[in-house]
Amino acid sequence: MSHDVSSQLLNLACGLFLLTALGVLWRRQVSALVSLLTLQGALLTTIAVLLAAEHHSAAALAVAAGIGILKAGIVPWMLRRVHRLVPDARETRPLVNISASILAAAGLTLLGYAAARPLVAAASSASGRATPVGLAVVLIGFFLAATRQRAISQIIGVLLIDNGIAAVAFLATGGVPLVVELGVSADLALAVLVLQILTNRLHATFGSTDLDELRELHD
Amino acid sequence: MNPIAAGLAATTGLAMCASVAAIGTPSRWRARVVGVLTAVSGTAGVAAGIAAVTGIGWRAELPGVLPLAGLTLDADALSGWFLVIVGAVTTVVGIYTIGYAGGDGRGPGSGTSLTVLPVFTAAMALVPVAGSVPTLLAVWELMAVASLLLVLTEHRHRAAVRSAGVWYAAMTQAGFVALLVGLLWLAAATGSVSFAGIRSAAGHLPAAVTGAVFLLCLAGFASKAGAVPLHPWLPRAHAEAPSHVSMLMSAAMVKLGVYGILRVGFDLLGGGPRWWWLVVAALGALSALYGIMQAAVAGDLKRLLAFSTSENIGLILLGIGFTGVLAHAGNTLAAGLAMTAVLLHTVNHAAFKTLLFAGAGSVVRATGTRHLDQLGGLVRPMPVTTAFVATGALAAAALPPGNGFVSEWLLLQAFLHPGQGADTALTIAAPLAVAVVALTTGVAVVTFVKAVGTGFLARPRSDCAARAVESPASMLTAMGVAAAGCVALAVVPALATPALTRVLAGLQLGGTPVNREVLGLHLAGTAASVRPLWLAVGIVAVTGTVAVTARSLGRARRRAIAWDCGDGPLTARMEYTATSFAEPLQRVFDDVLAPERDIDVTHDTESAYHVAAIRYHQQIPDRIENRLYRPVVDTVAAVGTRARALASGSVHRYLAYMLVALVVVLVAGVIR
Amino acid sequence: MTPWLVAVAQAALLALAAPLVVGVTRAVPARLAGRAGGRIAQPWRDLCKQLRKQPTSPADASMFFVAAPAVMMATSLIVAATGPFIAATSLFGGADLIVVVGLLLLGTVALALAGLDTGTAFGGMGASRAMVIAALVEPTLLLAVFALSFRVGSTDLSRIVAAGATEPARVFTPASLLAAAALAIATLAETGRIPVDNPATHLELTMVHEAMVLEYSGRDLALVEWAAALRLSILLGLLANLFAPWGVATSLDPMWLAVGAAVFIGKVCGLAALLSAGEVWTAKLRLFRVPELLAGSFFLGLLAVLASAILA
Repeated sequence: MSHDVSSQLLNLACGLFLLTALGVLWRRQVSALVSLLTLQGALLTTIAVLLAAEHHSAAALAVAAGIGILKAGIVPWMLRRVHRLVPDARETRPLVNISASILAAAGLTLLGYAAARPLVAAASSASGRATPVGLAVVLIGFFLAATRQRAISQIIGVLLIDNGIAAVAFLATGGVPLVVELGVSADLALAVLVLQILTNRLHATFGSTDLDELRELHD
Repeated sequence: MNPIAAGLAATTGLAMCASVAAIGTPSRWRARVVGVLTAVSGTAGVAAGIAAVTGIGWRAELPGVLPLAGLTLDADALSGWFLVIVGAVTTVVGIYTIGYAGGDGRGPGSGTSLTVLPVFTAAMALVPVAGSVPTLLAVWELMAVASLLLVLTEHRHRAAVRSAGVWYAAMTQAGFVALLVGLLWLAAATGSVSFAGIRSAAGHLPAAVTGAVFLLCLAGFASKAGAVPLHPWLPRAHAEAPSHVSMLMSAAMVKLGVYGILRVGFDLLGGGPRWWWLVVAALGALSALYGIMQAAVAGDLKRLLAFSTSENIGLILLGIGFTGVLAHAGNTLAAGLAMTAVLLHTVNHAAFKTLLFAGAGSVVRATGTRHLDQLGGLVRPMPVTTAFVATGALAAAALPPGNGFVSEWLLLQAFLHPGQGADTALTIAAPLAVAVVALTTGVAVVTFVKAVGTGFLARPRSDCAARAVESPASMLTAMGVAAAGCVALAVVPALATPALTRVLAGLQLGGTPVNREVLGLHLAGTAASVRPLWLAVGIVAVTGTVAVTARSLGRARRRAIAWDCGDGPLTARMEYTATSFAEPLQRVFDDVLAPERDIDVTHDTESAYHVAAIRYHQQIPDRIENRLYRPVVDTVAAVGTRARALASGSVHRYLAYMLVALVVVLVAGVIR
Repeated sequence: MTPWLVAVAQAALLALAAPLVVGVTRAVPARLAGRAGGRIAQPWRDLCKQLRKQPTSPADASMFFVAAPAVMMATSLIVAATGPFIAATSLFGGADLIVVVGLLLLGTVALALAGLDTGTAFGGMGASRAMVIAALVEPTLLLAVFALSFRVGSTDLSRIVAAGATEPARVFTPASLLAAAALAIATLAETGRIPVDNPATHLELTMVHEAMVLEYSGRDLALVEWAAALRLSILLGLLANLFAPWGVATSLDPMWLAVGAAVFIGKVCGLAALLSAGEVWTAKLRLFRVPELLAGSFFLGLLAVLASAILA
């Protein structure tokens, strides 16, 4: 594979990676959100594989495989289970309406681009120039988690943040140390588990997973 | 004698004659005499302006005219450009006044109103040629006070006029204070009151001083220009003033705010750091978007036009901001392009806004209402006015082949060429600016389709609209002159390029990158070109060919009743109103506009399932005004109420206040 | 061949082919749904029949109603004549993208005013909806223009297309793919296709374009429908030539022009088939969800600009 084609593919994967984040903002159906997240995990894996191929590094390839199993396999599977147990089909009342969310995401992307400008300038490779994408996904993830009502949407927001961080790590360094990435992913798996248990409890007790209702309890 | 001097002398002299004549002539002839004299005075202003943009400089010191500082006049190409705008608008308004103010000699035709009108136009003509700080402040204040008196013309008839007057007075004086402080500070820091002296000394001032001076002047000039958030006076004053005054204010006076920003920012202070221009650009983007959104949902025709003025000023400020930013980035090509767009848009806006306010004035005169929901069907009784308003609306919506399109095309071209390797701020700001201009244009199209479509077409929605008659010949002539101006600007804007080059050179921006081709505009350094004349001729010719061909192939047209669902004839109540037309857009921007809706449903007495009547009331408040100004107004009112205790009515107390003040001043003097 | 002749030939070709393209967009979904459907030439027969019939004007309508079909047709014809459809050479100094956007908008405005001029609730409703959609499409369109013109340094359509035709590597960049996606959504909205508007509906609550033209009949209706078909061909043709500029003639040699014309017709019919096949699987969006779609396409346009700035 020539270098040029590989960098074009990398750009394409990064673009689609960002677009899946946009799709997550746009769609309301929880099942669609999970599918998009799966796709995003697959794209992240693609990015990792492309980088590993570029550096001819077996360790990086192993990380990529691990990422693929975790993000495109286990995490979506767990989310589907949560969703089956707690059938909230739709995100009905986001705190910020969808059009405004998308415009905000556009703003956040610009911010990510502006903030990553020094990284881009310093980057020698094509991969380095795609770092703003990861940063933008992190910001969009935060935005999603902050403005959605359903617990499952918030979990998805957190997962977006994690995907974004992973993408930044890959793109900025051209492959992360294995231990760091595994540590982060283990943390994440733990977080998803905790949230899953919490969601189940919440559902069992109150019959709904609207987080604003928790605040009413506090009041 | 210098032609500029002769032109200016004629302008001011004729205006004074008009002013005096308004007092001396009987009411039957008053409007005619004043109108003709004002129109000629405006034409002299145009002549002086043209002389100034051809590059003949002129400077004069008249030490005896004003006490202390005297009057300093200094005309360069930039002055000339704005002098042409003021003069041309004055000419049209003069002709319009003959018909508009003629009549019973009350309201706009009253002696007071017609006396002040020429004073206002003369003061406006003097603003761009003022050559020193005291001169500028004096004519600026004269212009402000004269326009305030004119806004208040109909204060006896409507309470809203008085409220508009208070808002306008408060804001224009606050703006004046900002200008006063800013310009005097500048004069004190440079040690010179004349612009020539300030220009040469401003380069050595500390950045903090120039920055503060610029912000103060920006606040003063932008409030006069009606930029959001300094706009609340504008929709009130433009809507409540008589229409010929609205024309002058919207087409000419707000442009002088733009002139001030250009004069102080680029000429006197010589550019300045980038953040100034980012502030101006942000102000422009906010004005453009907020102005056009409010215009799109406005039900009052003149309020709609007023908010559209805010929008156009926003686009102009966006262009000015980008000129500064691009010049700072060293991209003189794009900077010159942006400034060319700005200057052309000031003229274009003056032309089409004169026309549109003249049309609105004719409508108000014919129907007695400004509310679009009560208008409609005016195309049959007022065909000429409708045609002129449609011409103006085409330009205001920036559609080809209107003149607004040419300047927006240039503005977009400036944003589209930020240059390779531009820095982060510019890389982000340029596409955002394109998006702002595009959204503004899109919503402007909706706005003016609404204004023409619901205001003039289909069936009349009220009796007053049904009784409308066409305006007198003088008003139609005035509109015709303005429309001719719009058409000329639309098809041969290239004729202005020599003048533009000189204005840009005066602003230290090199020359304009717009090359004049045969009847077209071609941009140096980029491969973009537009041929407005070809475009206009092409659209007209092809439309005509299609229509004639289709007609010759088929049969004659037949009148038929419109589809009424088989439920009897359609009434005016079944038409879409302006409010319903704008409803989808208002829903899209619900979070920005926050309309207040009120639905009352009255049920039948017998059954709660049957509805007897539904009343829907909606009003769209100005949110920026409510959030920003309401607290200030409340605080001032509260302080005022408290301060009443100080004025107890006792003479002893007042004398004591004076004594205390005198002592404090003297003590301060001694300590120093 | 002289540029004038080429321009006239190009306009004639598009005008003749446009009803057939509409025929394709009707035939493909019919086949996919297992119906026989009309012939591809059926829209042409409808046009010929309507052109012979007597037009009627509503009692309250004015010149605006009468002029709108001609204005809409004329703006479409001018774009068809000057745009880079079969030849990417500067005819009359080239078609500027912003001018093209403005001309198409002028046609929409003429029709909206005609809708209001009828004085019926349908006309007003259609005009109001169509104008809102047109207003919100505008930012997307111009951002895509920005991204496309950035790499060429000009908004001249023929230059953009010619640059793509001579350097194919430029076409497959992320920026241009994103711009293509943004422009595709904008095209759907501008031409009134699903999911923004349903060209086959006659249900009052969902009509946009159909509501505006409800009062037109005979020759007027034929002109409006023809112009709408022409706009569809123009926008699909632009999409095809901007992002797949192969086969476009770069000189005025008659043989290359013939090849260019054939390839162009093929591309547009292919895109039309793709578009209508996509419509089979999509539902129309509620009017108030259309802004979400357009916000999404705005996002794509912005990304395209950023990508062209970063990766240029």
